[in-house]
Amino acid sequence: MIRRSLNFVIRGLILQNRIVKLLKKDFYIEFRSRASINISLAFAGITTLSVSLTSATMNLPFRVHSILIWVIIFFSAMNSLSHIFIREEEEGTSIFLSIHSEAEEIYIAKLLFNFILFIVITVVVTPLYLFFMQIWPENFIFFASSVFCGSTALSSITTTLGAIVAKTSMRSSLFTVISFPLTIPVLWISINLTASSLEGGSVDLLNLLFLLAFSGVIVSFSYLLFKFIWMEQ
Amino acid sequence: MHERYLIEASNLSRRFGKSRIFRGISFSVESGECFFITGPNGSGKSTLVQIIAGLQKPSEGKLAIKLNGKEILESLWRHIGFASPAMNLYERLTVYENASFAFRGKDKSLINHYISLFGLGKHKDKEARILSSGLRQRLRLITAMINSPGIVLLDEPGSNLDVEGKDVLFREIEKIKKESLVIIASNDPEELKLCHKGIDLAKQNS
Repeated sequence: MIRRSLNFVIRGLILQNRIVKLLKKDFYIEFRSRASINISLAFAGITTLSVSLTSATMNLPFRVHSILIWVIIFFSAMNSLSHIFIREEEEGTSIFLSIHSEAEEIYIAKLLFNFILFIVITVVVTPLYLFFMQIWPENFIFFASSVFCGSTALSSITTTLGAIVAKTSMRSSLFTVISFPLTIPVLWISINLTASSLEGGSVDLLNLLFLLAFSGVIVSFSYLLFKFIWMEQ
Repeated sequence: MHERYLIEASNLSRRFGKSRIFRGISFSVESGECFFITGPNGSGKSTLVQIIAGLQKPSEGKLAIKLNGKEILESLWRHIGFASPAMNLYERLTVYENASFAFRGKDKSLINHYISLFGLGKHKDKEARILSSGLRQRLRLITAMINSPGIVLLDEPGSNLDVEGKDVLFREIEKIKKESLVIIASNDPEELKLCHKGIDLAKQNS
């Protein structure tokens, strides 16, 4: 019993070390090339500024603000996140990655990288939008929770989709087709939650939990199936 | 107990769509042996090495990799060192970072040891993207050998290497083949001379 627990702890520590190593590798590459983050931040900045300049005199309803926030976050993130696995394939580094890592470690590291990048983009986009549009959420904690839960769900979806798409030859069209049924419910609920928080509505715990549960299901299935996706030739 | 590896391939074949790359490949290699795979371009040398490394699946046939008589069913990569021209390194990582990414041990001084051994000491902090193709090949070989794996798979190991690079490579192969299982896929007679048995895919496919 003790030996089994000890083995479990040791395996956990090794897994953690490998994940940290993979994560460090992705951050080094990203911040040296700055390819994904620059494109995303440029997209976020330009769209936020354009929206604020063109609608400065209009008194937009909170629901429209919510839609705009999510459209900006979604497209800023999609510019970079979908490429995280495709880059490994296109640059021919997937063999180097596969020969030195377990498939599960790769999935967890990519998921964490996507999640952190998504949160960075969200943290930049949201205050920028609120500042330029001169609005402030009535219920800030609810607002922050809805943005956080929505971002978590979207980052888990994009990680899985990125892995599937990287292994197919019809990349862009496949990504569009399979991302549709997964992203629509998440975006729909996130937009509703954010609109409600901007209007000062009460915390909708059920839908916040739905977003987290949705991420949990996606992550669990992906974790179990990732080996077959990644090694499929 | 000393680790003994055994690779048994029986009747392996590989197809991509309708085109058959090779068929009916059978062989057996064990620790302490060096096995060559040769054949003309397009005969499937690299594909066969990638199948052994677990990076591809054979279309037919069975490949069993055993450690001390027991088949390895999980985490094969922990037992394998692999270098191939098809394996690109991380361009934005330095020589040291690429080697360190591949390194699984605790004694980090080994990373510097291998970097110096393959003559990359003065390029240690350079990003891989600015290395010449010969220096990149040296770095690939470092990543294959740095963990002293039980199975070493080398696809065209001498490609782009200068005389000095080949000397180091041959010396290292001579050293590791005493205990490890080494498989070399190549057309270079000099490299094939390092092994005492092997297969010619041209003959197998004819």
